[in-house]
Amino acid sequence: MSGSSNRFASRLAYSLRPCAAAVLSLILSIQPGWAQIEQAQTQLAPTRAGQTQSVHSGLLQDEEKTPSAAPDAAISKSVSIKLGAPKIDPNQTTSDPHILHLLSRFTFGPTPEDVASVRALGKNGIEKWFDQQLRPDDLRPTADDLMLAGRLADFPELQLQPDELLMQFPSGAIIRQTANGKLAIPNDPNLYAIYRRHIRLYEDKQAKKEKDQGKPESPVKAEGATPQTAETAVSADAGSSSPSSNLSPSKMPDTARPAYSDLLVKSVLALPPSQRLQRILNMRPAEFEEFQANTRGGRRAPVLQGMTPKERELLSDFENPTHTVIEALQAQRLLRDIYSSNQLEEVMTTFWLNHFNVYLHKNEETPYYLVSYERDAIRPRALGNFEDLLDATALSPAMLLYLDNSSSTGPDSIVAQRQKERAAEGKPAKATAPGLNENYGRELMELHTLGVNGGYTQTDVTEVAKIFTGWTVDRPQLGGDFKFDETRHEPGAKTVLGHKIKANGPKEGFELLHILANSPATAHFISQELAVAFVSDNPPQVLVDRMAHEFLKTHGEISAVLRVLLRSPEFWNPATYQAKVKTPLEYVVSAARASSAEIVNVHPLVEALNQMGMPLYSCVPPTGYSDKADAWVSTGELVTRMNFALSLATNHFGGIRSQWTPAFLQLTNPAEIEQLLENRLIPAGVSDKTRAAVLEQAQTQTQPQPQTQVFPPSAENPPSKITQQLQRAREQQNAQIAGLLLGSPEFQRR
Amino acid sequence: MNPSRRLFLRNGALALAGTTVLPAFLTRAVMAAATEATAQGRKLVVVFQRGAADGLNIVVPWREPNYYAMRPTIAIQQNQVLDLDGFFGLHPAMASLQPLYKQGHLAIIHATGSPDGSRSHFDAQDFMESGTPGIKGTRDGWLNRALQAEDSNIAVRRHTAHTAFRAVALGPDVPRTLEGKIEALAINNVQDFAVGGRGPKIAPAAAAFESMYDQSSDSLLHSAGDSTFEAIKMLRATDPAHYAPDPSAQYPESPFAKNMKQIAQLLKANLGVEAAFTDIGGWDTHQNQGSTQGQLANRLRDFSDSIAAFWRDMGPEAENITLVTMSEFGRTAHQNGTGGTDHGHANAMFVLGGNVKGGKVYGKWPGLADHQLNEGRDLAITTDYRHVLGELVSKTLGQMNLESTFPGAKLNPKQFLGLV
Repeated sequence: MSGSSNRFASRLAYSLRPCAAAVLSLILSIQPGWAQIEQAQTQLAPTRAGQTQSVHSGLLQDEEKTPSAAPDAAISKSVSIKLGAPKIDPNQTTSDPHILHLLSRFTFGPTPEDVASVRALGKNGIEKWFDQQLRPDDLRPTADDLMLAGRLADFPELQLQPDELLMQFPSGAIIRQTANGKLAIPNDPNLYAIYRRHIRLYEDKQAKKEKDQGKPESPVKAEGATPQTAETAVSADAGSSSPSSNLSPSKMPDTARPAYSDLLVKSVLALPPSQRLQRILNMRPAEFEEFQANTRGGRRAPVLQGMTPKERELLSDFENPTHTVIEALQAQRLLRDIYSSNQLEEVMTTFWLNHFNVYLHKNEETPYYLVSYERDAIRPRALGNFEDLLDATALSPAMLLYLDNSSSTGPDSIVAQRQKERAAEGKPAKATAPGLNENYGRELMELHTLGVNGGYTQTDVTEVAKIFTGWTVDRPQLGGDFKFDETRHEPGAKTVLGHKIKANGPKEGFELLHILANSPATAHFISQELAVAFVSDNPPQVLVDRMAHEFLKTHGEISAVLRVLLRSPEFWNPATYQAKVKTPLEYVVSAARASSAEIVNVHPLVEALNQMGMPLYSCVPPTGYSDKADAWVSTGELVTRMNFALSLATNHFGGIRSQWTPAFLQLTNPAEIEQLLENRLIPAGVSDKTRAAVLEQAQTQTQPQPQTQVFPPSAENPPSKITQQLQRAREQQNAQIAGLLLGSPEFQRR
Repeated sequence: MNPSRRLFLRNGALALAGTTVLPAFLTRAVMAAATEATAQGRKLVVVFQRGAADGLNIVVPWREPNYYAMRPTIAIQQNQVLDLDGFFGLHPAMASLQPLYKQGHLAIIHATGSPDGSRSHFDAQDFMESGTPGIKGTRDGWLNRALQAEDSNIAVRRHTAHTAFRAVALGPDVPRTLEGKIEALAINNVQDFAVGGRGPKIAPAAAAFESMYDQSSDSLLHSAGDSTFEAIKMLRATDPAHYAPDPSAQYPESPFAKNMKQIAQLLKANLGVEAAFTDIGGWDTHQNQGSTQGQLANRLRDFSDSIAAFWRDMGPEAENITLVTMSEFGRTAHQNGTGGTDHGHANAMFVLGGNVKGGKVYGKWPGLADHQLNEGRDLAITTDYRHVLGELVSKTLGQMNLESTFPGAKLNPKQFLGLV
């Protein structure tokens, strides 16, 4: 991927360019308040700048010339900044600590490009950057955005609606219904093959279950339905539809297996991509299992070789449809978080997805609904209006199912009345007696709007639940949309928080959501959450009050509330600098961003989040994940983070490659390399002690032979021979330094 | 915690334990000395069955006629239950636990649970783990508070030095039960609990990280780093790569068995574990739960065989262990239309231990006649689960202020069941 190496080069050029970052990082490592920083800058800047200058002087010719960012000017201007001032002075140029603070809070980690782009905005750059971020649709796509668009194109399924998604990537329920003849298999030949495989697997499993249970409780199936006969039935069917599978493993004696699997894999790989896919799609479960077993890990690449994204998607669908959807969902999220230049939109999307948490494995359909939930309900409104967002979540099938509102029925609704009449007539009741489910009603007030101390009572919860009776999902197993079911709606007026809401069908719900969205308790609760996310774990009450005031004044304009936060002295208070501990998501994504790793496969990152206890979309309780340090700083957590840092930096994750030694760079002194990598990875700098620990380790590592580097590449000494070895040794050393920096205490904070 | 004790531990014993030049027998001796005080107390192992286990098919009331009427296809027939006391019997997949009951190590409490009526898994788990049913705002878990209460007991504190392994959970993160002021350790895999690769030698990267965190002025990360490296060193000193369970312990191949095996490993390594937690999922049997065979039977076999193996594995040290199991709620007394059971209310708990007065099914049996059911559908609760836990913590971790551990429960030791 050439794009990524350019990206690396430009970052490197940046990090060498102004040297101001290096100076600041040194100064900041003393960790004083910002006012002290400025003093220190004037004292320390000349020496340190001189040092760094000499280190990198050979490279300065490589850098791009940009109008801003003369190092000395940046330093001298930063000295004049009034820190902690309530508003950003429109006449000032922003300093690096300001920019870093801004970016460390409103992005998934500042990259050198981000810092440069804020600086390039000149006067009032912080406000300008923020305004740009608030209008993500107006932002011009960067190279990273174009690359991201290309990556997202690998997941065509993410464009689909839930019903289409479920049809093309059948869930367990769809397969069961198809197997039982309640749904038809799609006509599309590829989908036909996918359904056929999963129906067979389902039937095999059923047969096995019956065998295990000695058929004690299967009144439906006939006595003679043993697994063998089920299998025969399937293979009879298979015989006609898959002519190519004449190498059926079941016909082979066991001793012939190894040769058979070799032959199988070879014969499949010999085919051109689309025929290869067709050949695989026609495999019977046992044959495919054999094939899979012999094409795992590193041997998988040749199978996918030359296939289009659509073809790869079909293959993945064939293997496991629901997984394909979940993997795409997780991958797109991480790719956006890492690469999108609309960082604030992604940060706020994460914030709201967590605020309006939906658990991925609530039921079989949730993964399918989550694709649309994030794409259609959350992301377009992440910087919009709160009430609009609240309505969108209330109407979303993902939420209706997650908090059980879809199954809530009014005790006096038409359906409940019918049920009572049936009972009175002595007819058997339905398996599950319909009733009120208060789950959504409670969480709507406790977690989505008013907050736990928002002044509502149990009676309010019940009344809210009644208002939302009938808000359900049309045939959720097929991926249907929101539906208002009049027959389950509780008749009559309701009273919530002292407001009387007249009987008005589905409009009652919107009336209530309007009341909740505009309540002072909600304004405070949301402002508090935002302040915790962006300012500190215990944000000053005055700030929360000001934000809440703006929230009420603007009727929940999220951008207006965020702007109050940005312009507040509390946000710029030196005590807030680097005061937040990164959540696992922030940690993993910021490490990926900082390292400029080429990420072909996001799976190791997904897995890292599982190990760190923050699996994507998998927070079970409706509270969402904590945004505070105490939830994430623990013994086991640090071990996982340090190991992640080392694995990422030393390229131990399959499909993720970082490069730490640019070919044109002749640095050999670990101190210089450390400084370079520190600028790139932790622009805010590390402490002297951290730096010393990194250097001590780097120096005890095996050193590249010093004399080899004085030989310039020549005909006698081909560059390939000399440099390759040297390069590899250096790269190992540098990767180790990078890994230590990414695992350092400083990188845990933002 | 007493700071000077802690200092002694870190500077003395652990510093020694961390070095590789020390012969293994010596490190063991040092470790033993360091944790002797902790070893005075008993050790509590908590197993959470997530998803609401079907207590009525686990400890079967086989003399209840209505049991068979309500569960026509999933009931365990009288000739198949493993009889316990002429009224209750174990599910046949739990044969490995029956001897422990007969030997008097295993006690069962039936018709117990959380009094809160929630039928939501996450609410009910949350309530059960926080130890405050019905109250959402509780920040910490009951077991963490119990350890806090232990600390405030001066008589105990005088003799106790705590290690990073005091409260340990097998899994990616600290469960709700162990959340709180006392730092708990979450370990996915004992063998991988190291920085920069496993193995007997300290990886250079680990040394660098240790120095960084040790010298960090960031107090939060400094102290987390301290306990991290303390834990790593302690664990390394026990040579976990060469650990093998007792040959008599036949652990099944399952994630739960693996966790139980690792808990045994940590306990036997004398690392100062006081409380250990793990969980086992897959109990939410709404469909085709099966009877003597099937979904629930498979789960129960794993559950029982793992616990029985753990017991054997602990050998003579089992004497100091108290293990307790729980699940967020029980399941409906009636089977549903899909061969399963829905969310119910009361359940059964198991208590296993050296000093447990086992061989008995405790608790008042509320009956299964229609009018005896909770809300007309589930087994009613006659023993608040906090009575069980309250008794266990006060008899394992020592006398304590039960009101701070289970606020609002108004536990009265006189009402304890006498399990221990």
